[in-house]
Amino acid sequence: MLKDITIGQYFPLNSVIHRLDPRVKLLYTFVFIIMIVVANNFVALAFCVACALIVTFVSKVPLKTVIKGLKPIIFIIVITSLLQIIYVKTGVTLVSFWKIRITSGGLLEALFLTFRISFLIVMSTMLTYTTSPTSMTNGLDRTFAPLSKIGIDFNIITMIMTIALRFIPTLIDEVDKIISAQKSRGANFESGSIFKRAKMLIPLFVPLLFNATRRAYELAYAMTCRCYNGGKGKTTMNALKYKKGDWLVTVLTFAFVAGVIVLNIKFGEYNAKFAFNSAV
Amino acid sequence: MALLQTENLSYIYGEGTPFCVTALDKVNIEIEKGDIIAVIGQTGSGKSTLMQLLNGLLKPTSGRVLLDGEDIRSSKAKKLETRFRVGLCFQYPEYQLFENTVYEDIAFGPKNMELSDAEVDKRVRDAAKYVGIPESAFKTHPFDLSGGEKRRVAIAGVISMEPEILILDEPTSGLDPKGREQILSLIKNYRDRTGKTVIVVSHSMNDVAKIASRVIVMYQSKVLMTGTVDEVFEQSEKLTEIGLSVPQITEVFTKLHTLGYPVSEKVYTTKQAFLEIKRILNRGKDNA
Repeated sequence: MLKDITIGQYFPLNSVIHRLDPRVKLLYTFVFIIMIVVANNFVALAFCVACALIVTFVSKVPLKTVIKGLKPIIFIIVITSLLQIIYVKTGVTLVSFWKIRITSGGLLEALFLTFRISFLIVMSTMLTYTTSPTSMTNGLDRTFAPLSKIGIDFNIITMIMTIALRFIPTLIDEVDKIISAQKSRGANFESGSIFKRAKMLIPLFVPLLFNATRRAYELAYAMTCRCYNGGKGKTTMNALKYKKGDWLVTVLTFAFVAGVIVLNIKFGEYNAKFAFNSAV
Repeated sequence: MALLQTENLSYIYGEGTPFCVTALDKVNIEIEKGDIIAVIGQTGSGKSTLMQLLNGLLKPTSGRVLLDGEDIRSSKAKKLETRFRVGLCFQYPEYQLFENTVYEDIAFGPKNMELSDAEVDKRVRDAAKYVGIPESAFKTHPFDLSGGEKRRVAIAGVISMEPEILILDEPTSGLDPKGREQILSLIKNYRDRTGKTVIVVSHSMNDVAKIASRVIVMYQSKVLMTGTVDEVFEQSEKLTEIGLSVPQITEVFTKLHTLGYPVSEKVYTTKQAFLEIKRILNRGKDNA
């Protein structure tokens, strides 16, 4: 059951996207997120979605896996869509009952937001799918290195992130193991009243916390033994270097940004929607 | 009919993902009542997966596990029944202790079986006796015990359910010689006094030679050999080939044999070695 968590997971393949510099991927994912929020009409949004789909296609990660990554946010999408449908009162009234009036404008707004949120998440999961945790933190480290000039030591933050990421699979395994062990002793995690199930969390969390603390101490000692004393002046084994592909992606990203801005101006805010409305 | 049996049992981890690994490939084993079976094999040969399939924690990718000739996944009731009849004690079980006292931790299993209070109490005391935990330690916090003691409390937590088949996954790993000895003798004790079946997963050939009646050798997700201790350790070359070994004492006697001393090669425990040397010394006396 815990194996279903895909957000933050790395999907090891060998594609052009996987080989890109992590700094490039980090920065441009951020750019994409900004642009998909900036896009204010259906044409610009469609352009963003198309670009995201091209990236997914090039990365060779199966589309099914990417869509599966949306599972955890379905709830958020449904809630925001409902709010749009209820509160946006533009366009033609389609259905009205009790105090609720559903309009074409509301539906379109909901559709717009669904795509915006979904592809915002799709692009962020693409980042983690195609970037291994080590190269991700390496990239973060390099990106924020200039901050040390104003006294913020980002090295420590990336070290904390590396360790946290490193321990996610370990802890998931541990949870699985403890559940199995307690199930072998007849513990029932799946049925019974809420009170009974809440009580069943004790045999799970007590050993889990105990073991996590134990691991944390062991790791701290091991790091101390290898002379770790904070990040200052730390160098990396595989220094990052921009390659041809990274420059190409930079050019493409500029083209993408320009594209969204042009489409925004050309069709204007809600223009496309209103066009659609009058058709309805 | 065997008590516990597997039919073409296969298990694949992460099927349909790039991480997919075949852990078990068409395994057929039979386990008779009263046996002490040792399962040996290198890390990653599928031993632990097999054990979790035997008590129904994992769902086979294909194949079946039969308990009394009936598929353990045939019904929900059968599944639960299997959990209680086939007791599985994981590797490093001491990391699964959670109650406030030793007594309560051992009682967790029997309580889940919904036994009467008197029966639970009796089973806790019996189990504690088997593993050598004195009643004076019942009120201690499990985290205050030593590693070996914790391990024994955890094993008691499974024994207290009085399973017909007790499975122990590497019960002696990470313990000192004294702790190992205690665990091994408690396993043998449990079998001898209750007549129940025990399956032990182990890396240590010395341990296997000491307690097992039958041995299953696993290699690359398959069962490579099964047989009595003699039958398996006779094939020392084949064992070495797959990265396993024979007990140290057997190696010594094989060397002695090749050097021309009139000793048997079939010596697997120190006790047997003692008897063998005595036999030869006595024969020497008779000749003189």
